[in-house]
Amino acid sequence: MIRFIAKRLGSGLVVLLVVSALTFFLLYMSSGSIARNILGDQATAEQVAMKEHELGLDQPLLTRYFAWVADALSGNLGASWFSSEPVANSLASRIPVTMTMVFAAMILIAICAALIGVAAAVKRGWVDRVVQVGAIIGDSVPGFVIGVVLVTILAIQLGLFPATSTISPESGADAWVYSMSLPVIALLINGVTGGAQQIRSAVIKQLERDYVRTLRSRGIGEREILFRHVLRSAAPAGLTVLSLQLIGMLGGVVIIEQIFALPGMGPLAVTATGQSDLPVVMGVVMYTVVVVIVVNLLVDILNGWLNPKVRVS
Amino acid sequence: MKFGPKAAAAALILSASLALTACGGGAGAGAAAGSAATALTLGTIQDVRSWDPAQAHVGHLLQPYQAVYDTLILREPDGKLSPMLATDWKYNAGNTKLTLDLRTDVTFSDGAKFDAAAAKANIDHFKTANGPQMAQLASVKDVTVVDADTIDINLTTPDPALEYFLSQAAGLMGSPKALGTDGIKTEPVGSGPYVMDKAASVKDSQTVFTARKDYWNKDLQKYQKLTFKILTDITARTNALVSGQVDATILDPKTGKQAEGAKMQLAANEVDWQGLILMDRDGTKNPALQNVKVRQAINYAFDRKTILDQVMLGQGTPTSQPFGKASGAWTPDLENYYSYDPGKAKQLLKEAGYENGVTLEIPGIPDFQTQISVVQQQLADVGITLKVGAALTNTFTSDVAARKYTTMYFSLFQGQPTVAINQIISTKALYNPFKNAAPELDAKIDAVRNGGADAGKLAQEVNKYVVEQAWFAPLFRVNQMYYHNAKVNVTPQTQQAVPSIYNYSPAK
Repeated sequence: MIRFIAKRLGSGLVVLLVVSALTFFLLYMSSGSIARNILGDQATAEQVAMKEHELGLDQPLLTRYFAWVADALSGNLGASWFSSEPVANSLASRIPVTMTMVFAAMILIAICAALIGVAAAVKRGWVDRVVQVGAIIGDSVPGFVIGVVLVTILAIQLGLFPATSTISPESGADAWVYSMSLPVIALLINGVTGGAQQIRSAVIKQLERDYVRTLRSRGIGEREILFRHVLRSAAPAGLTVLSLQLIGMLGGVVIIEQIFALPGMGPLAVTATGQSDLPVVMGVVMYTVVVVIVVNLLVDILNGWLNPKVRVS
Repeated sequence: MKFGPKAAAAALILSASLALTACGGGAGAGAAAGSAATALTLGTIQDVRSWDPAQAHVGHLLQPYQAVYDTLILREPDGKLSPMLATDWKYNAGNTKLTLDLRTDVTFSDGAKFDAAAAKANIDHFKTANGPQMAQLASVKDVTVVDADTIDINLTTPDPALEYFLSQAAGLMGSPKALGTDGIKTEPVGSGPYVMDKAASVKDSQTVFTARKDYWNKDLQKYQKLTFKILTDITARTNALVSGQVDATILDPKTGKQAEGAKMQLAANEVDWQGLILMDRDGTKNPALQNVKVRQAINYAFDRKTILDQVMLGQGTPTSQPFGKASGAWTPDLENYYSYDPGKAKQLLKEAGYENGVTLEIPGIPDFQTQISVVQQQLADVGITLKVGAALTNTFTSDVAARKYTTMYFSLFQGQPTVAINQIISTKALYNPFKNAAPELDAKIDAVRNGGADAGKLAQEVNKYVVEQAWFAPLFRVNQMYYHNAKVNVTPQTQQAVPSIYNYSPAK
């Protein structure tokens, strides 16, 4: 298992390096005059040249990339070109907001999707039909639309939640949870239907397998067959779907965070990209790649634990 | 008891909501929303980049700086300039030296004293810190300390906008002890009515200020607590306003309807103009644009009133001139200089030798998609094809400077006349990338620059020239839709999309 994890970590590091190089070069080549973007439309050519020198933009591209890698390896991701705030500080203050929201949504999605998916697979009939229709609706309605509807009804009309984030150092944990509720519900509704559909299919597939018939012929109860055998075999498919949902959610939360004015990674990514604030964009990209690598690694480990054949493949 | 499918689906959504509601506890949504008259919460569209006053910006971004930094000159809501840290100021005969008398009773929040040396330190710092508004002091040669409370600002060339700039970014005064340090980038140190509560502030989310004790001008300090809530998304700003999380914010005509439905009050103010900038007037890349009749035909092609009514819900005023009403350069005769006359447009194209049509290429701009579609349709009606290219990206400023576009649809500031000239007309202006010039126009611009107090009036001639020569095709001046609740009185600030911080007071 350790070798298996080491191999996965090694390939993750390669991915990290390749993505960093690609992002760096593509961003620098497509950003136009960054110094002029920083200084605005009144800047003179001399000012622009001065700013380029200050930011090291007059250095060759390769030199700048290797300098960035060297700094990044020592834990220094640089500072925002626009606000001078260290990128590490920006990430450190925003990652908890985004990740608590994503993990809260994922845990609820996992629980709800498993319950609904299994219920649909076992009960079939109208339960199954509701899940099927729900999956289509859930997949087709974007999370931000659900978010806007939730804000209109639950925040503005009923006043049950804040319309936008109330997270701040002076507000307590309750304000945190309170601010996170609507975004999490929006992500939950959007994600649970698709997850339930996948789990339903995986469970049905397992229920139709020969080993289930054999277990039934031995007189083993349906509940034991379901929880001890079928779910264990169906779990890898469900885990893969959930991991894909989590990775996809990293993109979806960008809009959700904008709508709810949550000080998470989304607004940071949008602002930095719009301004070509490349140190920050690089930091955001690296964070995203690390999350993707870690999630995939965790799913691989879990799948390996559930199914030993995966470890040797 | 059996539940039907509808009940099951409803129960599922409700249970998820309730589960989270239960976790939420009882924190109030509007706890920090300025429910008391001693607190004011404003929704803004962007956080400041750096609190270094030399990195200050204009427009939406000036307001938070005003909370912590006094300016040398105060700009009243109607544009009149009043004393602030400078009690009096006057030019010499040639308008090349501005002498300012300064207050002697002001200290910065770190205890440093405001005096002539501090004012000089700030102006010197602003001139060298390479901030986004450094051009505001481009005409300043140096600053001389005359005595403890007097400075001379010496100019290389007369600049009628200098007093205006000293009420803006260039006039913000920071503590001389903090200028140039890293600390002032994240925590402002000024002599203003408020001090930043750094512990309660979150970058890109909210900035909290508390009233400063012993502030020298209590009339400007109307609240005990001031919060800027950063709400980039217009839907979020609308939701925050109608739900009471912020007391005032800027919206647009469409979201404004929702705010009006929630009984919010409007403080409207025309600041920008929208329309086409016909940049390639020498025909360098598009020969047709060299012909003034073609540019005039473009102007005659638009039914400005209808476009305004349909696209902007009537929030603004149709116009043919790029200078705003408060600029001094605004001229009543130019307001409807190009009335809607498609027949005349076709005739002018024919006279110019383009009766078979003209093609214009413009970049796409996501914010103006609807306007561009309507413009495209109306131009097509007179035989002008508008090809809309790829959307503007973050390379836009450098692309404009590099003459990538011959024409573009945009929204531009209608401010102080010299500022407008420097932005869209002079050969150094970004929005005159082809550096179009004419001796006649140069003479008019020179007259404005040397005109001192008459600069606005003299700029009428510049305005007349660019309208007659159809350098632009302005469509309308647009209302800035600034909404606020009943707890606060707000006075719009001329030539500013958002009011100055001094223009808010608790409603009685």
